[in-house]
Amino acid sequence: MQGAWWAIGITVASLAALAYYAFVVLPARIHRWRCEGLRAFARLIELRTQGRYGKAEPMAELADAVAQRLGIPLHERRRMELAIYLRDIGMVAIPYHILNKPTPLTPAEHDLMGRHAEIGASITEQIPGLWHVAPIVRLHHVVYSERPDAPLTTHILSALDDWLRIAECADADTASSVLKQGAGARYHPLATQAILSEVHQRALNSVKMLTRSAALWL
Amino acid sequence: MPPLDEHAMSWQERIRYWTVTLGVLAVSLLALTGIPLIHERWLPDLLGIVLLAIAAELLLIRYPLRPEYTDRGIWLSISTPIVIAVVLVYGWQFGVWLDALTSFVAGVVTAYVRNVRLQWVAVNTAHSVLSASAVGLVAAPFDVSQVGVLSAATLSALVLGLLTYMLVNTALVSATVALAEGVRLRWVLAQTTLSLPRDILLMTPISFLAMAALNAYGAVGLLGILAPYLALRQAFVLALRQQELYHQTIRSLGFLVQRAHPYTGGHLQRVALWARRVAERLGLPPDRCELVYEAALLHDLGKTVLDERVLNKPARLTAEEWEEIKKHPQLGAEILRDTPFLAPIIPWIVMHHERPDGAGYPFGLKGEQIPLEARVIAVVDAFDAMIGGEAPNQRRPHRRPLSLDEALSELERGAGTQFDAQVVRVFVEVVQQWREQREAKAGA
Repeated sequence: MQGAWWAIGITVASLAALAYYAFVVLPARIHRWRCEGLRAFARLIELRTQGRYGKAEPMAELADAVAQRLGIPLHERRRMELAIYLRDIGMVAIPYHILNKPTPLTPAEHDLMGRHAEIGASITEQIPGLWHVAPIVRLHHVVYSERPDAPLTTHILSALDDWLRIAECADADTASSVLKQGAGARYHPLATQAILSEVHQRALNSVKMLTRSAALWL
Repeated sequence: MPPLDEHAMSWQERIRYWTVTLGVLAVSLLALTGIPLIHERWLPDLLGIVLLAIAAELLLIRYPLRPEYTDRGIWLSISTPIVIAVVLVYGWQFGVWLDALTSFVAGVVTAYVRNVRLQWVAVNTAHSVLSASAVGLVAAPFDVSQVGVLSAATLSALVLGLLTYMLVNTALVSATVALAEGVRLRWVLAQTTLSLPRDILLMTPISFLAMAALNAYGAVGLLGILAPYLALRQAFVLALRQQELYHQTIRSLGFLVQRAHPYTGGHLQRVALWARRVAERLGLPPDRCELVYEAALLHDLGKTVLDERVLNKPARLTAEEWEEIKKHPQLGAEILRDTPFLAPIIPWIVMHHERPDGAGYPFGLKGEQIPLEARVIAVVDAFDAMIGGEAPNQRRPHRRPLSLDEALSELERGAGTQFDAQVVRVFVEVVQQWREQREAKAGA
């Protein structure tokens, strides 16, 4: 009879392992693989625009933390991460000399640049298995007052994209104040709040780390 | 340059003989087995099992042989645990007939729905009959009704039966693929046996549950294992999906290049097809040939980063512009830098403009320092550039396209200096063979 219990125990454990493998391990691994594949797309745009667009890694990590703060479910967060890698892919269709123009763009050129989200979405729709990411790519520069009904992930990307760009050109404080001013008009108030909290938390953490290492050093 | 006819080889003839051999063997085995003696009280159960096994067989998972094939590939089904359980509980004769019936019925439905040739249904049914018969051979001495489900003897029979089924089935499927694709059996086996331990490990607990459920409650018991069965199927689907993702990434990047630069797109497709044929002729293993195909598809990826005004310039390029163009192999590698699963093809993309005499770029490598795969891409790339596509927009803006013979002579002139001599020789053979086949077709 003891043998029977052993067999039942092993079967139950094997089935639990199978379920864990099928529904947790494999989907996570596939998502990682997918992101690794899409990094090439982001890198292509980064190289084509001489590093001004397409950067994905810092944004992906920050966006996930912000989305977690807002309680966005895992499958939506994964969809958002895929969109981050593809968001600027439409720039492949924008002429090189406009993308890398050293002087300010003319209104016509500016309009053309603005079409990259739409072009990117149409490219994404044609990538096998990624059609569901296209709506986020299309709306990754969404303005809250124009489309308050757009998915929250698109509002996160829109605000975060601006925050990162301003932080890179100026500093984090300037970027945060721009977001604060635009909350409720250009940016989704919830997304703005979550981004600012996350950024503040990180700043505090880095100060704590600095203090700790200074204390150790002294 | 005309597209390469992928289906030119007569795989149909080879597979016809194989189908007949397998068919005769399977029918003989079924005749030898005879109609299994079925106990009257088992009848409703057995009918239920047949229906459930057919349903399980119909939940197919597509395993593509080559990413660009839409009409060819292996369709995996995971009804194996049910077959093994039936062999152990109801006897091997019924197991063999059950597997034959489910493969045939599900195969015919699949053939109708997915437009698959009926020949494949016959081949698949024969695979099933032979595999289940092999299980019968090893599991026949065990009588589950006598020793009980939870005995060591039954568990050994289950594991042994599953192992036998999977080994025989994998061997037969590999042989069929090798014959149909015209590649060495050893190479196919190297790929198909790779996932065998994982598959057996995943199927063992389900087979045990199916056996216990069948033994205790008959067909109704099988409904109780629906959830773990679907988990098993999910595991298989996702495991295969992982492999598919790799090809999807490459195809998507290829698509992106084509969209960004239409000339490059047509060129990449042709170079990829010819490069794979040359790699096959050079005797490289199939997975290597597939990588050559994929590297060739992406060899000009770096051009998407360059200024289109330079790439499309109809006049002669300035020295500065030429220097820009020469950056594209390294830019292509730079794009793929953060994608680890594409790492094997990166060196070939970087080195596809190197020359055996050391006058190439970007590193000026010589002879054997350049990987064979990069030398293959270099030859085919140059040939296609000389000939150009059939449509005017697929030709280079500032060059007159050469004829096939002119281009081949040009390659032969550069053999040993600009191009690898061995690759040129093989490429010329491949082109000649293609020509003969085309002429024979036209004649017919």
